[in-house]
Amino acid sequence: MNGNPPPDQVLGLEDLHVTVHHGAATAVSGVTLSVHTGEIVGMVGESGSGKTLTCRAALGELPAGCAVSQGTISFETNNVTDLSRRGWERLHGTGIGAVFQDPSSYLNPSLSVGSQLTEVLRVKQRLPRREAHRKAIELFTVVGLRQPERVFHQVPAELSGGMLQRVMIAIAISCGPRLLIADEATTALDVTIQAEIIELLRDLRDQRGLAVLFVSHDLAVIRELCDRVVVFYAGEVVESGPVEEIIERPRHPYTQALLQVASVGDFSRRELRVIPGQPPQVGAHISGCRFAERCPAAIDACRAAAIDLVRLGPRHQSRCVRANDPELADVLETELAAR
Amino acid sequence: MAVVDLTNLNLPGTAGAISPRRRRGRSVASQVGRGIAILVPILVISSFITYSLGALSNSNPAATILGQDAATPAAVAHLDKVLGLDKPLVVQYWDWLTQAFQGHLGTSYFTGIPVSQSIAQRLPVDLSIAILAVILAVLIGGTAGTIAAVRRGGLFDRGVTMVCSAVSTLPAFVVGIILVVIFAVTWHLLPANGYVGPTGGIWPWLEHIILPSLALALQVAADIARQLRTSLVSVLEQNYITGARVRGLPYRRILLRHALRNAAGPALVILGNDFPLMLAGAVAAEVVFSLPGLGQLLLEAAQSRDIPVAQGVLLVVSAFVIVVNLVVNTLLNVLYRTGDGIVS
Amino acid sequence: MSKRTSIFGPRSVLRLPSAKIAVVILAAVIFLAIFGSALAPQNPLTINANALFQGPSAQHLLGTDYLGRDVLSRLMAGTRLSVFTAFEAVAIGFVLGGPLGIATVFLGKWFDFAANRVFDALMTLPSIFFAVAATAALGNGLVQAMLPIGILFSPYFFRITRAATLEFARAQYVEAAELLGASKLHVIRVHVVRKVLPTMAVTTAGLVAGALLTVSFLTFLGIGVQPPAPTWGGVLSSELDYLSNAPWAPLIPGALIAITVGACNALADALRDRTSAGTFAPVIDPVIKTHSTLQALEVANERQSAA
Repeated sequence: MNGNPPPDQVLGLEDLHVTVHHGAATAVSGVTLSVHTGEIVGMVGESGSGKTLTCRAALGELPAGCAVSQGTISFETNNVTDLSRRGWERLHGTGIGAVFQDPSSYLNPSLSVGSQLTEVLRVKQRLPRREAHRKAIELFTVVGLRQPERVFHQVPAELSGGMLQRVMIAIAISCGPRLLIADEATTALDVTIQAEIIELLRDLRDQRGLAVLFVSHDLAVIRELCDRVVVFYAGEVVESGPVEEIIERPRHPYTQALLQVASVGDFSRRELRVIPGQPPQVGAHISGCRFAERCPAAIDACRAAAIDLVRLGPRHQSRCVRANDPELADVLETELAAR
Repeated sequence: MAVVDLTNLNLPGTAGAISPRRRRGRSVASQVGRGIAILVPILVISSFITYSLGALSNSNPAATILGQDAATPAAVAHLDKVLGLDKPLVVQYWDWLTQAFQGHLGTSYFTGIPVSQSIAQRLPVDLSIAILAVILAVLIGGTAGTIAAVRRGGLFDRGVTMVCSAVSTLPAFVVGIILVVIFAVTWHLLPANGYVGPTGGIWPWLEHIILPSLALALQVAADIARQLRTSLVSVLEQNYITGARVRGLPYRRILLRHALRNAAGPALVILGNDFPLMLAGAVAAEVVFSLPGLGQLLLEAAQSRDIPVAQGVLLVVSAFVIVVNLVVNTLLNVLYRTGDGIVS
Repeated sequence: MSKRTSIFGPRSVLRLPSAKIAVVILAAVIFLAIFGSALAPQNPLTINANALFQGPSAQHLLGTDYLGRDVLSRLMAGTRLSVFTAFEAVAIGFVLGGPLGIATVFLGKWFDFAANRVFDALMTLPSIFFAVAATAALGNGLVQAMLPIGILFSPYFFRITRAATLEFARAQYVEAAELLGASKLHVIRVHVVRKVLPTMAVTTAGLVAGALLTVSFLTFLGIGVQPPAPTWGGVLSSELDYLSNAPWAPLIPGALIAITVGACNALADALRDRTSAGTFAPVIDPVIKTHSTLQALEVANERQSAA
């Protein structure tokens, strides 16, 4: 894509803050990220790091008690932060599609999967019944379902996890959205199926220019699939940038620790490693870096004041005061080897 | 939450499996067949119990028919033979049942009118009321339950819950009386009694059946509303509702086609189970509103110890209940298509 | 096994305010049933032509009826018949259904099958119709009318005892407990007290409520009433004929019936909430289909209220 004009921005989150428990605590603070046409952006982090809430906010599907307290969400050129229920109804399906972790629970258990797909086509695109059926079979084929005619009539309980996820993807892309949000879409699948789904998403990106926001806690999958990755910790973005760069040379202690734990990249697995300590409670007031407590490379400056993002390259940032410190990597390697 | 039994799933890739569509079509029909096959023995047993009530009676039917004076032992013995009362109970029962299937339910001891004729005459009354009552119960209960669930925690929800608890304890005949008091006696809006068939004009017919139907419907409506609210609240929290939303489907469609469809099951079961209660209430309604229905017929038969009539009415009514049960089960199967269409 | 306190157990039931009120009401009703006729302020049978349709007054706390009789006294006297026959029905149901439920587990498959079908059939018979039809055969008396009601109640007891016996016969905790050294008798005793009795209690409370309603209904219809003896339903039906004179009159017996029935139901609910009572997981008999919807619904509701 070099030399081409920069692709359009499909999703933009600007300084997003999300509160939970009816405003009692802030679970996501100051998240800024963007997804462009034909780009697959991964969001990685532990459970509770705020990545799920962020993507729910981008979908307009925040659970009860949660709200966007600050910041903006934009889809293509429109500001959708305060979009009405009706507005989201229009946007869903035709602009943004979504797939989730447990596909069988996101489909109506008593209807055939085919009818749930044709329903979307008939309602959103006003296709007549026969046409919708034909298009549904076509979509099922595109997502790699063998025997699409047969699958059409089956109910979710009769299909395996991998097949159901393909069905969900088929439904999600059926009305031609520009953005697909995938929240832990491959987490519940076994490895071979995972690979197939990843392949499918890549194909969709290549053929349709589909932009994907891919949430996962599995770095290996992210490495396989994504162009860029955004690392979450305790409700903040701690590092973001091109996936190869980050994996090759992480510039934030947390990212580095994650990579070591997942044995992705340079680090080969010799023993089971954990990052000692726990992430802070949601809403805990911490001055300075939120990872400082568990960070092997922390210095006084880390705890002094809130840390801003340090720009490390055209699209690479890190929220670490020592990001540009060339000895950072060595420090971490030694510290962790010592434990 | 669902009242379904996921047995015998047809897993994909099973060699030689029939295509799902054909299989499901067959299973609904076979489901009905299976239902009938099970209910037949039940019908037989309950009709046997019905018939043997007569045998428990200590009065001699022949003597009753002949009347006090003419009931000499010889005459009684002779009539016994004519009526077939000297045969063993099981044989009598079988004769009676086979006759019943042909539509002959015997003759009243007193009026000499064939029982089936009396029943046929009165059945439209009960049917009108029962059908209208079911419609009203579903409409009122369904709407109230849905709105209560959708606006959960709101004023309507709490109001409905309170009203439902109150109405639930009120038996149909009390409700009927209250309705009569309000609408007929105090406000003179609707007639307090009597029945006019639809042949006498649609409007008068409706006027006469609306109060009794309402009396029957309210208790069931309360049960339905309560159950529907609970089920719907739980369904609306399910992930597939979120799934439907992120596909951009309009809210009303989600509510009707996805949420209600899955939440309606238990409420439907309640309807099926409350149906006998409705029938009982129909008897009360007949008394309160002076309607010439099966209940009155039965009461008269009870007073005059007219056994064939009593047996006939009981048979018809219990057959009715069994049929309703079958219909409810079939509907549940249609609503909840699982792999093999079996709803327990 | 240590005694469990607080959350579960019969004593905790009484902590619920609804249960307390219910018990008080029911105690009052039972008291009236026993002593009602003696305590009534006036003779329930005395006709007073000069005092027809009077509203509440000092002399007649609930007014008078169409024959000038004191309503309060009639209701108090009528309590006995209504309550006793209601208990009669439940007792009959228990006696008919309970032992059979235990026996059926040990008497072989055919007996079990037949018994199940018979009790299923009983459950399909609409109770009022059956009772009225029965009086055609048995004669017009309240006692005779409640006998068929009792028969119709027996399936409920049958199912409980049968399920309890089956669960016990198949449950692994029996073996486990025995391995731990508990005697079989002890396990039975604990099982019965912990699970079976509360379930029985819940069912009984519910059935008593139903029986009371049925009694009121039957007497309302004129079954079993030997005028001028008073019954709740009888009082209600007689007032019906004179609605134009006293439109509010039926509310009193109606309220009495409703309150008593409500109290029984409230007690049943409280018992269900606070003890480990509940329907046993239905032993899935693949042939029983008609009423397993009811069973399945009960199980589903159980899970829901437990969740």
